[in-house]
Amino acid sequence: MNTAFIANLILATVRMAIPLLLISLGELYGQRAGMVNIGLEGLAAIGSLVGFLVSFVTGSNWLGLLCGALAGVAVNMIYAFATVTLCADHTVYGMAINIFAPALASFIYRVYFGSGSELSQITLMRGVAIPGLKNIPFFGDLLFNQTPMVYITVAIVIFTAIFFKRTQAGLNYKAVGEHPRAAATLGISVIRVKYLACVICGALAGIGGAYLTTCYSNTYTEGNVAGRGFIALAAVIFGRWTSGGILLACLFFGFCDALQIRLQVGSFGIPYQFFQMIPYIATIVVLTLIGAKQAGPKANGKPYRREQR
Amino acid sequence: MKKVFAGILTAAMAVSLLPAAMLTQASAADYKVAMICDSSISDGGWGAACYNAMVDAAGQMGWDYEVTDSIAQDEYYNSIVSYCMLGYNMIYAPGNQYTDAVLQAAEEYPDIAFALLNGGEGTPAQAVNGNVTSLLPNATQIGWIAGALAGLMSKSGTIAFIGGMELDTTLAKYAGYTEAAQYVAGLDGKEIKVLDPVYAGSFNDSNKGIEFAKAMMDEGADVFFGDASAVDSGARQAIDEANTAAGAISVYDIGQPSDILGQNECVIGSQVTDNSSLVRLSMEAVENGTFGGEVIYGTLQNGALSAGKLNADLVPEDVQTRYAEFIQQMIDEKFMAE
Repeated sequence: MNTAFIANLILATVRMAIPLLLISLGELYGQRAGMVNIGLEGLAAIGSLVGFLVSFVTGSNWLGLLCGALAGVAVNMIYAFATVTLCADHTVYGMAINIFAPALASFIYRVYFGSGSELSQITLMRGVAIPGLKNIPFFGDLLFNQTPMVYITVAIVIFTAIFFKRTQAGLNYKAVGEHPRAAATLGISVIRVKYLACVICGALAGIGGAYLTTCYSNTYTEGNVAGRGFIALAAVIFGRWTSGGILLACLFFGFCDALQIRLQVGSFGIPYQFFQMIPYIATIVVLTLIGAKQAGPKANGKPYRREQR
Repeated sequence: MKKVFAGILTAAMAVSLLPAAMLTQASAADYKVAMICDSSISDGGWGAACYNAMVDAAGQMGWDYEVTDSIAQDEYYNSIVSYCMLGYNMIYAPGNQYTDAVLQAAEEYPDIAFALLNGGEGTPAQAVNGNVTSLLPNATQIGWIAGALAGLMSKSGTIAFIGGMELDTTLAKYAGYTEAAQYVAGLDGKEIKVLDPVYAGSFNDSNKGIEFAKAMMDEGADVFFGDASAVDSGARQAIDEANTAAGAISVYDIGQPSDILGQNECVIGSQVTDNSSLVRLSMEAVENGTFGGEVIYGTLQNGALSAGKLNADLVPEDVQTRYAEFIQQMIDEKFMAE
């Protein structure tokens, strides 16, 4: 195992972690307001399709990402209305989103591109190398030669950490997820915060999906989210509902996936199935260890009825 | 309010689950064929080629056609049965992985014909009602066609193969690819290392293809071949990016099963399978009432397999000539005969 192998492994880890991180951060904003949204896979799927479609039509990756975010928000409003206004079960509507949104994405794709077999491709967002710094051995490419979305995602992680730990607005936001009735007595609009959480969750999950088709792969294929929405849920728990923890969790999951791919290529005479198990075994082990000390928001997934005592 | 909302949502979901094409197709022909596929028909590879084969064959025979693509493994059977219930005459399942679902449905719908592309040689005999036919392109020859070109074009002496799932046909393609590349290179006194096959575990995750290709290029691979649909598209993207970064096209890809020359800069040639002729033969058998219980082979000898056009900018003329000679040897059954 040489330096180049390790450097390439770390680069692959970052590539695979970023979409996961965006989706997980969306879930963090949701859960911090008591909204357990298991529909992330669906939100990312619609974001992925809309991001690709808009980039394909306009040639602008940024517009694709923006529209991916808007699509995520629009679909997540179904979940928001059902769970916040109608106080319906979070799990049921999260699953509904997971069924509905990918099917909607498939429908839109077919309507726009027809049933043809031509492979549609776009130009991906280009990396921005920071002069001088990108030539630093080992860390140069890793830290200073990425697409702007990587830098933005890291900025969101830092902002989120500060927001929840150092600002009054962040503490108010967290109060809604911990004890909404107490928050209401302090004059915090619980309903408004929950809707805001759904907007942020939908936007970030949509961007996470759009990232896949604007910054990672230049084609769109149905099913390209490939379970990242579910892994993101695990990452939020693994990350102990903090943005820093989620960053580490996503890097860990990204590392496991990157490692199994690199080990498959190296082979070493071991059946490839063994390597493919690595991300799943790691997920189970980590969740088993972390789950024993669960520390999620107290009112997670519970309906909030203003007039209820 | 809650019930009304739930009703609206349910209706919206039901509509969105309908394949778009299903909404637009009006049946006019006497016969209908339906295809199921776990990859996308717009993948620029396997799914696209198989879909085009059905469209071509249906066009020639005057059949109506329908497709459901990107389906999950647990939906194979349900998708097939849905078309059976709609009265389709033939179900076209392009892949060895559909075998169990096809056999189960074939037992329940004895009057419907099931054409299984890449089905096993023994699969038709397993069908209780004798209504299953395997369309079997020779996977070893497919591997040879790609392997001979890879052996001629590799400069690093390392070539790669990416699979979607570990199917019998995929293993046979890999074996053919390996032996042909090593044989051809050996004639020039070169040694070829073929990296062990890697599997994405899916045919849709193009991002996995990107990562596999990057990892294999790090291992020195400079010619790629694959059997993984959209995963191959991802690999080609990564190869193009690497070539762009290097300022020259020095890593190549060989497509399959249709001619994809021009789709990506790195494509130097393709292995072409005329699935259309195999599907058409099945349709003729259905119309004649003779369908089922047989294996329809696709080989270089009967023209179902061939080599696609070569990229004249990347493949030198002498290599083109030698490659054509090797293909002719394969047709004459003299390849690796010595």
